[in-house]
Amino acid sequence: MALRFGRAKFPGLGKDSHRNDPYWDFFINRPPADLANTVTEMIRNAPEGNVFPTKSELHTPEITSSHLKGMAEYFGAELIGVVKLDPNENAAGYPFAVICAVHADYDPRQAPGIGGQVPVQNGLFITFVLSSWIRELGFRATAAPEPDAEKLAARAGLGTLSKEGRLITPQFGANVHVANVIRTDLPLAADG
Amino acid sequence: MALTLEKEAQQTNGSAGATGAQAGEEFPTPYLGRSVKIVGPHVNVDMNQSPHPKNQRGELGKPLFNWYRNTVSHDPLTRVSAPNHFADRRHFLTNVINRSSNGKVNPQKVAVDDPAAMARHIKAVAHYLGADVVGIAKTHPSFLYAPGGGRYVQDGSAKDEFQSNSPDDLTRNFPFIIQATTAWDYNKLQAHRHQIGDAAYHVSQMKGVMVLKALEGYIKELGYTALRGVVTPQAAGVAGGIGELGRNGLVINKNFGARIHMPDPILTDLPLVADEPVDIGVEDFCKICRKCANTCPTNSIPFGDKVVHNGIEKYKINWLTCYKLRPYVHEYWGSCLTCAAVCPFTKPNVWWHSLATGALHSFPYFARPALVRALKWIDDKFWGVARTNRVRWLGYDSGVKPGDQACTVAGCTASHEGKGASDATSNFGYYAPLKENTNRFVKRDA
Repeated sequence: MALRFGRAKFPGLGKDSHRNDPYWDFFINRPPADLANTVTEMIRNAPEGNVFPTKSELHTPEITSSHLKGMAEYFGAELIGVVKLDPNENAAGYPFAVICAVHADYDPRQAPGIGGQVPVQNGLFITFVLSSWIRELGFRATAAPEPDAEKLAARAGLGTLSKEGRLITPQFGANVHVANVIRTDLPLAADG
Repeated sequence: MALTLEKEAQQTNGSAGATGAQAGEEFPTPYLGRSVKIVGPHVNVDMNQSPHPKNQRGELGKPLFNWYRNTVSHDPLTRVSAPNHFADRRHFLTNVINRSSNGKVNPQKVAVDDPAAMARHIKAVAHYLGADVVGIAKTHPSFLYAPGGGRYVQDGSAKDEFQSNSPDDLTRNFPFIIQATTAWDYNKLQAHRHQIGDAAYHVSQMKGVMVLKALEGYIKELGYTALRGVVTPQAAGVAGGIGELGRNGLVINKNFGARIHMPDPILTDLPLVADEPVDIGVEDFCKICRKCANTCPTNSIPFGDKVVHNGIEKYKINWLTCYKLRPYVHEYWGSCLTCAAVCPFTKPNVWWHSLATGALHSFPYFARPALVRALKWIDDKFWGVARTNRVRWLGYDSGVKPGDQACTVAGCTASHEGKGASDATSNFGYYAPLKENTNRFVKRDA
């Protein structure tokens, strides 16, 4: 990349730069009065589309995997991993799970405001477009919230689990949000 | 052809009520920077007479109608990110977001004691939601669409109880326009007229739609009204200091050049402080440069001076010939983007770019032509008169001619039914000027 001079950015200091903003707490912490005002709700309520009838020509599974990760990165995912599911885990016949994660300045489980839910919103954007793209490639894919998403993320090598079962990553520590899990039958090379 | 259509449009609008420059004392003619000037009587634009709605009704002929309504792209990414060329519209996020029913305004209003603090807050919020550029403009009746045309949001819908209000009333009730937008990826834009360039354009467009919808929802949560589909985006961009209007009809920003979207802005009664129009030397540059006019594949960009169109002095592109390119190329790529890619202002957002625009900004007017000539010489020398970089991204390769199929992915051993890497012939992207085709659109005037 080109030589770049800008303000130095330190991880974890992002939220402090809004200290002088009297409305910032409202943005982060006030739960929305009408959920229809939130994009997260719009994407969650959207139905899944059809699988494209013709399958795209694919490269080798390793290359398909790297293309999938490149695509997710372009959509804004900061950590991406692919997990091979055991036969008892994939009742619907999905051999792979794709895990995307983004950094979260505020824990979305404790900050219900539109601002606090920004990682969720970005995660939904990634998983919605990525799973649609896989279906348009001609393979089945479904994106859904899963309670053990963080365990799968740890299995994909994105980080390790803390004692409370939360994901800790080398890049963002615990300030990370694991997006919906995409289960798919796209032939991929698993990370774990 | 184009002229006839525009005349019709003006006639149908004539009864809608002239506003703007003649409105006199209550709404003084706004200063829009050096690149655009409101000089004469302005008739508000009827959204139903703009290109996409016209085409939806089949008024631009069969090939364009079919391109808009009846095509499915060969490319899976285009099918999830580009308007109208999807196989299943449920896969297009813009559709999902813009068609969703609107939420209610929060009855508990947040008190705004200091509009300047609120303006800073809204900008911080927009950036936090993912916008690259934000601007706040003071509303003027001439920025709004003609009444009676309804609300227009592309690939979506908008309805509100102020639908029958005149532009003057809307201006009185909603004094501010917020425009927040995203920029396209610079490196992918180098492969414009290719699916890679489409990806740069369309994915950031979806992101921008999401950002604006979230911002609209947030303003409603603050307890204030936010209207969509009411404001001309370019006017909001210029008046809100996002950029200046270039020869190519695009708003040119100081950090990103022409590679920013101008989506449907938000009209609101939230107390804010408006930004001023900016001067980054676009006016001086466009007088001399003409790179976009030279490379436009349809000769839709004028070589001559500004004209007064509908009471506004600006460079007037021929939108119809620009639009007509699409059915010829849609099998290979979707969005042309040539005028945005060759614009010397379109550069990575880095220090040497800020240095150049900063120099343009701080030079006195009389000295600018010399600086512009120097900068344009540098641009021609280092970036070329047209973009010819070969870009590879994931499975895409702009060195493969459109229509040709070849796997050029390094290390791929999969059989693609006999299509080997040797099928890739050229050493650079598919940017051989399409000038041999251009005279079918319009004869060059210079």
